[in-house]
Amino acid sequence: MYWGGNPAECHPRHFTKYALMPKSKFLPRGRKDRTAVLVDIRPTKSAKAADIFLQVRPGKDFELITILRALIKDQKVSEEAVAETGITLEQCTDLIERMKKAKFGCVFFGMGLSMTRGKHMNSAALLTLAAEMNAFTKFVAMPMRGHGNVTGADVIMRWQTGYPFGITFNRGYPRYNPGEFSTVDVLVRGDADAAFIIGADPGATMPQPAIDHLARIPTIVLDPHVTHTSNLAKVHITTAPAGIAAPGTAYRMDEIPLPLKPALKSPYPTDEEVVRRIKQAIVKKPFWMPEGAQMTAAQV
Amino acid sequence: MTLTVVNNATCTFCGCVCDDIELHADETRILKAKKACVLGTAWFLNHTVERKYPDALIDGKEATLDEAIEAAATHLHAADMPLVYGMSNTTCEAQRECVALADLLGGLLDSHTSL
Repeated sequence: MYWGGNPAECHPRHFTKYALMPKSKFLPRGRKDRTAVLVDIRPTKSAKAADIFLQVRPGKDFELITILRALIKDQKVSEEAVAETGITLEQCTDLIERMKKAKFGCVFFGMGLSMTRGKHMNSAALLTLAAEMNAFTKFVAMPMRGHGNVTGADVIMRWQTGYPFGITFNRGYPRYNPGEFSTVDVLVRGDADAAFIIGADPGATMPQPAIDHLARIPTIVLDPHVTHTSNLAKVHITTAPAGIAAPGTAYRMDEIPLPLKPALKSPYPTDEEVVRRIKQAIVKKPFWMPEGAQMTAAQV
Repeated sequence: MTLTVVNNATCTFCGCVCDDIELHADETRILKAKKACVLGTAWFLNHTVERKYPDALIDGKEATLDEAIEAAATHLHAADMPLVYGMSNTTCEAQRECVALADLLGGLLDSHTSL
């Protein structure tokens, strides 16, 4: 199942290389052994690749997911509630039957779900639906990640701090609270008084109040190109593009780590080298924690 | 001009991270990216190793790498609530350094995931 995503245009090889076509021990006929469902607000190019297309009314994803969660447990749902989602009760029950009959279900959800009305509540509802489906069959949910190694960022932060994003170290240990420590919120409120931006271009993607704050505070950018963010930054450092001229590891969206094989040699240093050198320059300065606290080995 | 072929190269344009790409490259640019999709091909072919940009910029003026590293360290160290953000188009090795940097600074740490 794809929910609020358009892999045909955004992840062109997702169908052929990973999710729909591959033949395997348990799915020897490949595509013929799978059922593909697309839930979206309009029939995108991906709809052609799906067996079933469900056109949900914009902003009604959370409601539809909640109805599906009720239906899998044979609870009653009101007809008006179903009608509001733009999907009929017959379509819902047919989908539930197919989900339950599946040997292994996977929901890939895109920004059409996670970035529209309801935002993380939509993602949370879909993850709950996938979790509850495990009472009947094996079922998982996975976000369709946009940028190359954003999965790696989740994995590395989880490994090092216990949390995947939205972290602060301001008490000397990691704490997690999206909404409080997530970047857009921090910038829009004007909390941060310096920013270190690597492998991202918030100057082109974030809401204007957040960009305005980045321009007010000292911003440091590491990027292979001079970006929108570089133009409002105090410091820009050009680095080698990862995977093209810099070696390393990147995580696929299903959390498989893969080695990068750069084909070119860059005249610029790698991100890793520059971050390490900035860190070493900071280590030489007095530690910020008062009362004689010591830096830990992990910090150095 | 030597031509190199890299088999099973990894594409980091999108989250699919396809690792079966065949890259044909000379010393400055990638000429061909076999098996890559339209997005991946554009990603590989648009990067070159030409010195298109200065090593570093401070306040929009060209600077050396050493000066920029020192300036970055000074600004981050002086801040009460520094933010380390992004980490999508980079390697896990660099991400690990970023976590250590945020830890050292007592700062905020966040990625594209929160957007």
